[in-house]
Amino acid sequence: MKKLIALLLATLMVLAFAGCGSDNGNNSGNSAGRTFIMGIDAEYPPFSYMNDAGDYAGFDVEICKAACELLGWKFEVFAVNWDQKLIQLDANECDCVWSGMTILDSMKEAGYVISTPYFDNTQVLLVKSDSGINSSSDLAGKAVAVQLGTSGEALLNGDLAELKDTFGELVTCDSFLKCFTELEGNAVDAVLVDYPVAKSYADSKGDSLKIINEELGAEQYGIAFRKGDNDTCKAIEEAVQKLVESGKYAEIASKDEYKEIVNNLIFLNNK
Amino acid sequence: MALSVMIEKMSTGFEKTCSIFFLTLLFALPLGVVIALLRMSKSFVISRITQLFVSVLRGTPLMLQLLAVTYGPFYLFGTSVSRNKLIPVVIAFSINYAAYFSEIYRGGIESISVGQYEAATILGYSKMKTFIRIILPQVIRRILPSVTNEIVTLVKDTSIAFTVSYQEMFTIGKQIANSQTSFTPFIVAGVFYYVFNAIVGFVMGRAEKAMSYYKQ
Amino acid sequence: MNVLKMTNIKKSFGDNQVIKDISLSVDKGEVVSIIGPSGGGKSTLLRCATLLEKVDDGIITYMGDDVTYKNEKGHLCYSKNLKKFRQVFSLVFQNFNLFPHFSVLKNVMDAPVSALGRDKKEVKEECIKLLEKMGLSEKANSYPCELSGGQQQRVSIVRALAMNPDILFFDEPTSALDPELTGEVLKVIKQLAEEKMTMVIVTHEMAFARAVSDRVIFIDGGVIVEQGTPEEVFSDTKNERTKQFLQNYNN
Repeated sequence: MKKLIALLLATLMVLAFAGCGSDNGNNSGNSAGRTFIMGIDAEYPPFSYMNDAGDYAGFDVEICKAACELLGWKFEVFAVNWDQKLIQLDANECDCVWSGMTILDSMKEAGYVISTPYFDNTQVLLVKSDSGINSSSDLAGKAVAVQLGTSGEALLNGDLAELKDTFGELVTCDSFLKCFTELEGNAVDAVLVDYPVAKSYADSKGDSLKIINEELGAEQYGIAFRKGDNDTCKAIEEAVQKLVESGKYAEIASKDEYKEIVNNLIFLNNK
Repeated sequence: MALSVMIEKMSTGFEKTCSIFFLTLLFALPLGVVIALLRMSKSFVISRITQLFVSVLRGTPLMLQLLAVTYGPFYLFGTSVSRNKLIPVVIAFSINYAAYFSEIYRGGIESISVGQYEAATILGYSKMKTFIRIILPQVIRRILPSVTNEIVTLVKDTSIAFTVSYQEMFTIGKQIANSQTSFTPFIVAGVFYYVFNAIVGFVMGRAEKAMSYYKQ
Repeated sequence: MNVLKMTNIKKSFGDNQVIKDISLSVDKGEVVSIIGPSGGGKSTLLRCATLLEKVDDGIITYMGDDVTYKNEKGHLCYSKNLKKFRQVFSLVFQNFNLFPHFSVLKNVMDAPVSALGRDKKEVKEECIKLLEKMGLSEKANSYPCELSGGQQQRVSIVRALAMNPDILFFDEPTSALDPELTGEVLKVIKQLAEEKMTMVIVTHEMAFARAVSDRVIFIDGGVIVEQGTPEEVFSDTKNERTKQFLQNYNN
């Protein structure tokens, strides 16, 4: 029995050391050859999603991949649980969160290193075309869905708290697809969502859905890094800047699948 | 956000957690008996169909079943998605837990000796009375520890209702955690679940004690 | 009148013909012992008589009413009203089969009340008297697990008597008991015999069978090999197989 316990402990220790070893391998500074793990929400087209071939794709993914190539880093993608993205970042499961992420003051207050914003985002309401809802004031007593952990949800708990109080019910879903399913299945009357997402989904559904022409909150997207990880942030920012200067950034953005977002990209429009 | 506010907000979700818990037990415990009896049916077809049904329910994640019950009808037939999510949640939970309970019941029923049935037959008990007066009380005594295990799991499983946006305690905890960028709500949720399960453990322990007046 | 009459009973389990052809009848007040080697068909016969097993062929009659009968096509059928016949007899099992979750008193009175629908108060009085008679009144509120094997078997006899049967079957009532506990159970059965209770007892206790029975039946190989008064079977044995069996027993 004692031998068995000793063996068990020994195995555990070997495993623990093996774990340490691989961690060190991943995060040993910013030298060329390091592995950079990009944390994404895999259900957030066109920024980051799983394509028809089953690979991770999207604008953010392509830019990050190109930046890593420039830096000579090994590029990996990790799909985070969006409402726990920062915890997973802290836990070293990924080295950044870069996935159409809205910059929140609370992130900065909590000490996360946030890149300069690269995208202006607008929150809009997606409704059924025949719903008779034409502005946010028509939502009194109605059910509204929002994805947990998105800027839309943050907005409703902040600047739009008064609007939220007029809702009959606020439904928080764990993915956009569920928000949209609730809308199409008549379980909710509107979805508060980022403009590019709303646009691409509404387009795919013909005339049945419409976006209400009312900007509910203009926010910006950025990349989050671990507390104190300024070096990585700086390296990525510089690499992205080089991509912008070389025209590679614009080349990627000009692809057909990114036509909904290209006008909101800060680096291209401030030139 | 002050801890007291956090706890207060999460308590509103706790009511919904309790609704899932008690309604699921209310439906799943008796439904499990029906499934167990169908499973033990003398008809080969009924028994096999029930076996398949149970193996699918036990062999796929509850989360998947919850999605199927909630959104399945919409995707298949274009019917509306239920606004009151408690309905699909309780349906999915009840069916899933009934499948688990049915296997526990079946084990319990099959562990009762043939002699008990024969004695009851000789003494003129009808089949129904034999089951209710003679077999079931002994089965309950035997399966209580396994049922307690399932009930403890159910307390924790209520958080899966989040999948279909039912605003139970854990969902609210996640929302607060998000907006506050804080881990505290998860700790609060952990305490809620632990206390709930401590109460469940106490009640079931009492029940087990109350039934242990005879040796098996 | 015969309380029980069994005519040309046949019963097989698969290819194994356990009862080849047995006919027997039991008169009111008669005590019949069935002896014979294990696997000879004694217990199966008892289980057929108590309707726990269905016979393949043969007519069973209780108090002149047929339990089994041949329909117009010649097939064997069981009466639709088995419940009525189950009130005529009762059975004491080898392993008691008391209900462990019921107290002694509840074990005894539950069936008359909840299965037969008799008046609870009346049944309770009767049962308390029966328990007293069997020397079990202090145990009325105990649970079976708290009793010795002999006490448990006496309770199960009381449970059978509480149904007021016209005939009482015993399936090796002392086989599961330690030798020092068999006496108390046999004493109770003897007492019932003196009260002219109609009984059929499958047993391995030869001395007891001899002392208590009006008639002894030796069954082997699925047939009745020999039967008669205890004197005839035990002292004036005619059949070789019976002789051999009894000799083995005495050794």
